[in-house]
Parts: sequence; C-alpha cells; structure tokens
Amino acid sequence: MTVREPDIVDDATRAEAERLAALDTSLTTRRRSVRERLWFLRPAGLTVANVLVFVLVSFFLVQLIPGDPVVSATGGRLSGAELEQARESYGLTGSWIQQLGTYLTQLAHLDFGTSIATGRPVAQDLATRVPATLELVFWGLLLASAVSLVTAHFIVTHRRNRFAKLLTAYARSAGALPEYVIGIAFLFVFYAELHWAPAPSGRLDPLLIAPPTVTNFPMVDALIAGDPAAFASYAQHLVLPVVVMVVAHSPLLIKMLIVNLDQAIDDPATRFRVASGASRRTVLASIYRRALPSAVATLGMLFGLFLGGAVVLESLFGLGGLGQYAVDAVNASDVFALRSFLLVTAAMCLVIYLVTDIVTMLLDSRRRAGVAGKDA
Amino acid sequence: MALDTPTALPEPTTTGAGSTRSTQDGRVGRPAGRTGFVLRLVPFAVLVVLAVVGPYLVNHPATSVVGGQSEAPSGEFWFGTDANGLDVYSRVMTAFRLDIVIAICITVIATVVAIVIGLVSGMYQGDRTVLGFVARLLGRAVDLVQSIPVMIAGLVIVSFFGRNAVVITLALAIVLIPFQARLMRTEVLRTRSDGYVDAARMSGESELRLLLGHVLPNSARTTIENTSTIFGMAIIFCAALGFLGVGIPTPTAEWGTMLAAGAPDAAVGRWWPVLFPAAALGLSVWSASVLVAAFVGRSRV
Repeated sequence: MTVREPDIVDDATRAEAERLAALDTSLTTRRRSVRERLWFLRPAGLTVANVLVFVLVSFFLVQLIPGDPVVSATGGRLSGAELEQARESYGLTGSWIQQLGTYLTQLAHLDFGTSIATGRPVAQDLATRVPATLELVFWGLLLASAVSLVTAHFIVTHRRNRFAKLLTAYARSAGALPEYVIGIAFLFVFYAELHWAPAPSGRLDPLLIAPPTVTNFPMVDALIAGDPAAFASYAQHLVLPVVVMVVAHSPLLIKMLIVNLDQAIDDPATRFRVASGASRRTVLASIYRRALPSAVATLGMLFGLFLGGAVVLESLFGLGGLGQYAVDAVNASDVFALRSFLLVTAAMCLVIYLVTDIVTMLLDSRRRAGVAGKDA
Repeated sequence: MALDTPTALPEPTTTGAGSTRSTQDGRVGRPAGRTGFVLRLVPFAVLVVLAVVGPYLVNHPATSVVGGQSEAPSGEFWFGTDANGLDVYSRVMTAFRLDIVIAICITVIATVVAIVIGLVSGMYQGDRTVLGFVARLLGRAVDLVQSIPVMIAGLVIVSFFGRNAVVITLALAIVLIPFQARLMRTEVLRTRSDGYVDAARMSGESELRLLLGHVLPNSARTTIENTSTIFGMAIIFCAALGFLGVGIPTPTAEWGTMLAAGAPDAAVGRWWPVLFPAAALGLSVWSASVLVAAFVGRSRV
C-alpha cells in the first residue's frame, strides 16, 4: 500500500474512509430490514437443533452398549421379576421407540433419571456438581484471558525484545504439556516443597463447616452466608488448579491473539489511520477492535478445553465437581448418569458457542447472516 | 507411516498458503540443509526404536512387585519404585510400545478418515444430489463431534464400550477426526475452483480420478502437516484417560496410569514415580513435532 500525501484527499481515500465508517456499526444509523434485525434467530435455532441431536445421541449410546446396562451395573445380582422391575424403572422396557418416548418425556420434565449406582436422581447430583465445575472454569477463563491479553500485547508491541521472544516460544508450545503433568509438577513444588498451597483434597478446609447451599456455587454461597473463613478456604483451594489451567491453556489463546493482532496491524485500515496521523491510542483501539471477534471465538473453544481439563484437574485436586462425578459414574458402570453428563456438557458447550457467536456478530456485523456485503 | 508422505507433495502448491508461508519469519521455510534434516529425524527414530525394543530393555518384570514401596532411584531400581513397589524404569520402557502404537494408530485412522470426509464434504456440499446431502451431513457431524471437549467425548465413549486398547484407539480417533477433517475441507474448498481441476473434468476424467489425482494431492498438505499435532494429542489424551482411571486397566504399564498412581507420591515430595513417565510423554509429543517440521519447515505462530 502506498502512503498518500495526507492533505490531498482523492476519491479513493474518501471511499476508503467511508468504507471504514460503514464498518463501525455504532456510527451508522442505516435502516435495517426485519431479516437483519432478527439475525440472532438462525444461530439460536441451530443451537437448539444441535442440542436435540445430542439428546438422540445420548439415547442411542445407551441402546448401543453391549449387554444389559442394569445387569452389568448391578453385577448380575438381580434376576427374574426384580430385574424386570428394575428395567421398568429405568425406562428400558418395550421397543426402542417406546423407550425413546419415555426418555423424551422425562427430559421434558427436566428429569435426568435415577443413578443406578447411588439411587439418587441424576438431576439433583448435577445441580450441585455443575456449579462447582463452572466456578473453576470461570476463574480459569478470566485469568487466562487477562494473562493472554497482556502477553500478546507485549509480544506484538515489543517484537525484538528478548523476553518477548521467550514468551513467543512459550506460546508456540501450545498443548505440548498436558494439564495433569503441570498439575502434578505444581503440586510437588507448591504443596510438597514450598507448602504454599493447601492439601489437594476437596474444596473446603476439613475444620470448617460448609455454608448453607443457596446457589450451589461454593464461593457465592460463602459470600451469601457472610462466612469469610469458608470463602477464603474455597478460594485457596481453587488457586492452584486455576493457575495450572492458565499455564496449560493460555499459549493457545496467546497464539491466536498474536496472529489476529498481526493481521489487524497489517490491515489497510490501520495503515490508513497511521498515515492520516491518528494518535497511537486510536490506532491501538482500531487494531483491537479488528482482532477481537476472532479472539472471542477462541474463548468459546477454550471453554470446551477448560471443561475437559477440569475433569482431569478435579480428580487430581479432589475438587468434587462434574468431572469427578463422571469418573465415579464410569467406575460404577452408571450409564444413566453418564448419559446425562454427556448431554449436560454438550448443552453447556453449545450454549457457550452460541453466546460467543452472537458476541462475535455483535462486534462484527459483517458476520451476521442476511447482512449485505457479507463476503467483504 | 502416513507421516512420510509429505515428500511427494510440496511442489504443486503455488497458490494461497504455500506462498505466504515462507515470508512470515526468518526461520520459516525450508529446513536448513541436509544435516539439519537428518537431525530432525533422530528423535522420532529413537521413539520408534524404543517402541520396538523398549519392552526388552527392562531389568525387572514390569507388572509385578519387585521392591519396597516408593524407593528412591538407586543402582537396583534406576528410576526408583512406585507406591506399589513396581519398578518405574521397567514400566516406563515397557509402556513405550503400547502408547506409541496406540498414538500412531489413532493418527493414521483419524487422518485417513478425515481426508475422505474432507474430500467428500468439501467437493459436494453445494450439490443438490444425494451425494451433496451426504456431504452436508458429514460436515454437520464433524461440527457436532467437535462441539464437545475431546476429553469428555473420549471418556464417555470408552466408558460405554469397554476399557481396552482397541476401544480407546477408535474412541480417540473418532473425537480427533474433526480437527483434521476441517483442515481438509477448507483446503478442498480452495482447491475445488482451481483451473486444473476444471481442465481435468473437461478432459473427461472420471470423478474418482479427479479426486485422487488432482484434488487430493493439492489439498492434503496442511492435513498431513497437522499429523504431528494429532499424534501429540493422541499421546496426551490416551494418557489422560489412563490418568482418570478409565484407560488401559492396571497393572499394564501405561504412562497415564503411572502418573495417576504417582500423583499422591509427588504430593509428599517423591518426584521419581511421575517425572519419568511425564518425561517419556513429553519426549513423544516433542519428537513428532520435530519430525513433521523436518519435512515441512518450522510452523509459524
């Protein structure tokens, strides 16, 4: 791109400026058609359809298991009428169409069935387990975004710096060391050697009494109960797992941010701003505005990674969330609990993807369906 | 293995990604000279040799109790013993074969299936025929499988169909297919509209020859490059399943189960039961990325 004399504004420059202005939807007050106003319906509908597919998948997974799930979970102790009764109570009698009907009716009432292993309703178990895991994932995502943003900014603005090169190498190592190896290493250093971290067993110090559950989010409940000791204990037990997650997964986010920021820096729009003498702050703001949509999409992907990582870290740190529930269910051959686990995880991920999709489309209106000039 | 195919591919890709790749960074581009190329083959060669001879390098039986609990490394037990009194050195060495074979199988299956899916869904997704419908269905299926975390999908499949090497291999191959299939589809979509494909079609070549002779060689490059990532993920997720206790059942030597068994030891300051399997894991992941880098040049950030 050639740099023009700033005071000679020719038609091409003016056209470029108008194009840039058109990209900032907040600045334009163009009338929109109904289809453009309801752009969010399509992704939302798609998400609902995908969740329904997972309902079917989770149903047929149980159908496909070799052998009878009730027999294998009870170790073959039941027989005859008792077995029939047990099968009846788990909705395993009749043709598969009837079974599917039973399953869908149950789901419509938000009833995830009963766990074979514990006899408790699965929905009740999940209601206490999911918030605990989400707390871990939330703090992990928040810290990872903050760390990645700072790191990527530093790398992009200090290309020749030695430290930046070191950080680039770290970003390049994305996914080389799994979170369980980092987790064990951190346990060794910060718990066994330095005694900084609390013992990796549970969320709460054994001497403390858990505050009454209101939201099932441990830290929120401690706050509601006004119990600073419990809150501090909950937070302390979360520090190490969260740090492990951030160390293990932020290289991916840093990597994506660097690529996107580099693209945004090379964008003609940035050169135009630099050439027309905009302040450094304006230029940076414009760069971030351009790089942000893809970063948000990566964040959605990271949610899935963190959820998978939480499963592993919970069993290492004994945090007792959704992941440990799933592992216990596997060991007890509890297919009904696992089926609901799959469904709930898939639904959570799909909803998060929908949210990131919508946020991306809000940030960059060109990505919406039915917007003119989508190929731009 | 499928990993050595890139040698046949590089020359025709002159458009798009091929030309921008070398301008990104000083170190990007052709590997530096012949010795550099050979040096980069060494780690993976060592890995393959260890996979072949590893089980014979042991000095104790890998699956039986041979010493006291959690003994530090010594002349008798080179890497120490774990909490059950099993010899860590023998188990790490024995596990090379199992873990590497599983990872290679996962990589090959996932890549081959993904290339087929990518070709079909990329070429025909716009068609209004049965094939077009199948192509769109495959595309959707790939997106759906990728929407659940690998770890969770693997855990569920393995727990439903049994804890053995075959199920683990197939389960992880299925959940890793989307990563490769998406890359392939993107490349096929790009290649599909190239002139030589139209030329071949007009010259009356059959659709199959068109796919295998023109589209495949010109679109497989990024997918083949990505095999190192897939191999690394296969190693990591296979060990993660073992770590969760749903992998290859104990007492078979496997790095993931060794890490799980060693974690309580590490928490009280005994580092040897986890350091060595973790190092073996890291070596495997690293050597695969070096191997592919030898053929295609260093990957950019």
